[in-house]
Amino acid sequence: MTDPASLIQQQLASPLPAPVWLVQTFKTLGFALHAVLMSLWYAGLPSALVLRFLGSEPARFQGRRLIRQMPVIIALGINLGIVPLLFLQLAYYKAFYSATILVAWFWLAIVVLLLPAYYGVYAYAWQERGAGRGLISLRATAAWAAAVLLLVIGFLFAHGFSLMDHVERWPKLWQAHSIAGAALGTALNFGDPTLWPRWLLMFGLALETTAAWLVFDAFWLSKRRDNPEQTQWTWRFARRLYTLGMLWFVAAGSWYVFGSWTEELRRTMFRWPFWPLTLLAAISAGLPWLLIMTAERRPYKRLLSALIALGQIGVLLANAVSRQAVQNVNLKPYWDVFAQTTAIQWGPILLFLVTLCIGAVVVAWMLVQLKRRPALG
Amino acid sequence: MHYLWWYVPYLTAPMLIAGIAVLHVLVSHYAVGGGLFLAVETGYAYRTGNGAYLNYLRRHSAFFVLLTVAFGAITGVGIWWTIGLSSPLATEFLIRTFVFGWATEWVLFVVEILSAFIFLYYWDRLPAKTHTAVGWIYAIAAWLSLVLITGITAFMLNSGNWAKDPGFQNFWSAFFNPQFLPQTIVRTGGALLLSSLYVYLHASLTVGEEQLRTIIARRASRPAFLGVVMVILGGLGWFLSLPDLSRAALASAAVLNLMMALIIALTLLLTALLYVGPFRNPAWLSPGFAGTLLLFGLAAVGLGEFVREAVRKPYVVHNIVLGNQVFAEEVALLREDGFLQNGLWTYAWLAEKWPELIVDGRVVYQSLLKLPPKDRLLVGRAIFLHHCNDCHAAELGYSAVGPLLQGRSREMVRLRVEHLDEHYSMPPWSGTPEELELLTDYLMTIKQPLPAALRVWRHSGSEEVDLR
Repeated sequence: MTDPASLIQQQLASPLPAPVWLVQTFKTLGFALHAVLMSLWYAGLPSALVLRFLGSEPARFQGRRLIRQMPVIIALGINLGIVPLLFLQLAYYKAFYSATILVAWFWLAIVVLLLPAYYGVYAYAWQERGAGRGLISLRATAAWAAAVLLLVIGFLFAHGFSLMDHVERWPKLWQAHSIAGAALGTALNFGDPTLWPRWLLMFGLALETTAAWLVFDAFWLSKRRDNPEQTQWTWRFARRLYTLGMLWFVAAGSWYVFGSWTEELRRTMFRWPFWPLTLLAAISAGLPWLLIMTAERRPYKRLLSALIALGQIGVLLANAVSRQAVQNVNLKPYWDVFAQTTAIQWGPILLFLVTLCIGAVVVAWMLVQLKRRPALG
Repeated sequence: MHYLWWYVPYLTAPMLIAGIAVLHVLVSHYAVGGGLFLAVETGYAYRTGNGAYLNYLRRHSAFFVLLTVAFGAITGVGIWWTIGLSSPLATEFLIRTFVFGWATEWVLFVVEILSAFIFLYYWDRLPAKTHTAVGWIYAIAAWLSLVLITGITAFMLNSGNWAKDPGFQNFWSAFFNPQFLPQTIVRTGGALLLSSLYVYLHASLTVGEEQLRTIIARRASRPAFLGVVMVILGGLGWFLSLPDLSRAALASAAVLNLMMALIIALTLLLTALLYVGPFRNPAWLSPGFAGTLLLFGLAAVGLGEFVREAVRKPYVVHNIVLGNQVFAEEVALLREDGFLQNGLWTYAWLAEKWPELIVDGRVVYQSLLKLPPKDRLLVGRAIFLHHCNDCHAAELGYSAVGPLLQGRSREMVRLRVEHLDEHYSMPPWSGTPEELELLTDYLMTIKQPLPAALRVWRHSGSEEVDLR
């Protein structure tokens, strides 16, 4: 059998244009921010649809709000996905390209499925906004189909990225799905023990994030933010949803760590300097959960809802950093990302950072203008 | 060669890029031009207090967001997906060179998305001045994103002095390449022109009132004419800044001649129709007329993109990465040392299949020629897939080799492959003489027979031999 190490070339075409730590920072931070919004369509869309059809009046109101927010959430979420993907291709290209080529048709299917999913969301969201008329049941069906497609897309992502992390699986898949050495792009990575828990783990985080968003939205953005009946309902629902998400995360996370990691990976991740990170990723959700469970009886709910949202971003960030560490450990026998030489492009880095600052100021200016207007929905 | 090759039967993997890229370009230009149109026209409608026009612009904004933010964005992501799968070496090189250009473009995308949604969702809820300012924020961000991506795609067509002088091997020299300015002008012009054509179609389908339709027709014709002028001026600059190689390809390929003629004809026809139609006779703006205008515009842009891609051959990145995923500077080594030997995956494939052919980590090329005929053909096929399949299907499909070899003897095929680069648009042969023999054997098996009507002129000595 082919030695998997021989399938990754150690020789570099050109040096990295930025220090590895900076690339990893952008990649990890970008992924965490992408995960915030991705979670909202991943678990938020099905939750919103359930609330919209089955719930009480406050539930329907909240469901309607979430659905109406979805086009913006998806647009920004896809956009934020560019950042980790760009920096992943910059530093991990040797592993990324070959892994995705092995599963090319399934990887490409992400884009193909995303288009109808996105328009399915629009069809329903714009009807809720009053911009679309008629065919309500068809629009609702499209939104349900979109929710399913987005879950499938999440699975396909986990499918591609778990293969990227497990180079040892490449030779067998390649030999079974190639012709004269060229990949057919039809390999399925279902035999990877990390695939299923990895996918399910994200869904647990998505449930938590949706719950955190709901409380933040209810106290900061909603036009019913001063309506006690609405905010009380939202707290109670979010409490249940977050608890479900956390239980899901604990179950899937335990399966992921104790049921799919290799003995060596587990030893590494439970040893210094990684053990605090592993621990933080595992228990960080406890803080937002405690706040969400106890906040209903406390004053300063607005402040607490903001803390819960920030805490959840912290949870996603801890998980993103931990995943990055796992990826580095998994790939190290084949590709040491830190061994790359660098020739830093200071000018373009500066261009990016200056544009980022200007962009932030422009966005802040626009949001300030909105703050003076009545809230939507 | 450096990466695993993705075999897509009939179509070839890079054609997936072409398909998605053309779809994207038709919408992304509208995303830029439409943004400018909406910013200018919303300001005008507010200034003149034209409520009906303002109301139309609001409806158009919804159409604009639905098409550009969803379809435009996802097809843009689709390009990323397909270039990574079909052209990993070029993608790797471009990302290493331009990563912070793309990161900067990402910032602009964030601004675009937020301003587009605010512009639409907060219509009637923001003061006129603020609303118009949000429109301009979108327009400027969208145009700057066009400028950024054009610097990168223009570099792919003319890399300037990059390959000749290491002093030029940096982001700024690469970005401000000879093609940058002309392509920026062409694309800006194309964006203005296309956006007017989209507006015409949308208005013809949704506006019944005569007076309003007249305003829309006349107002939108102004950016369209400006766009035409920019396309013509930028197009001339584009032609003058083409590398010799591309000009030669343009001159030698009949299909490209035809496409260029069609682009010029469509542009002139569009200009004439814009003048006699929306500008002079706004009442002509029926869905049929507007649809035809848009179709001509899309055809001109689509053909332009095809020509731009085609004249880049044999490179994916001019003077740097060849169409078959080989660095130009590696060719000499590959001829000396072997294509299969130096390909990461081809070497692994050979070593797995015939370990006896590898001695001390080296492929024994003489032994390759001693393989049984069936195995020789399989090795020949591997060379074909990794060396040729980027641009050519085998027996049938996109630019299939089988029909191209009709009527050629084995010697003719072998010579043709050996001297590939003597034909415009083809990368050089990048293997050893033994690999050349193996590839030739394989090519003879996929060669299509000459049609009977053409065989009457052939000498009896040149009968085709079936090696299968």
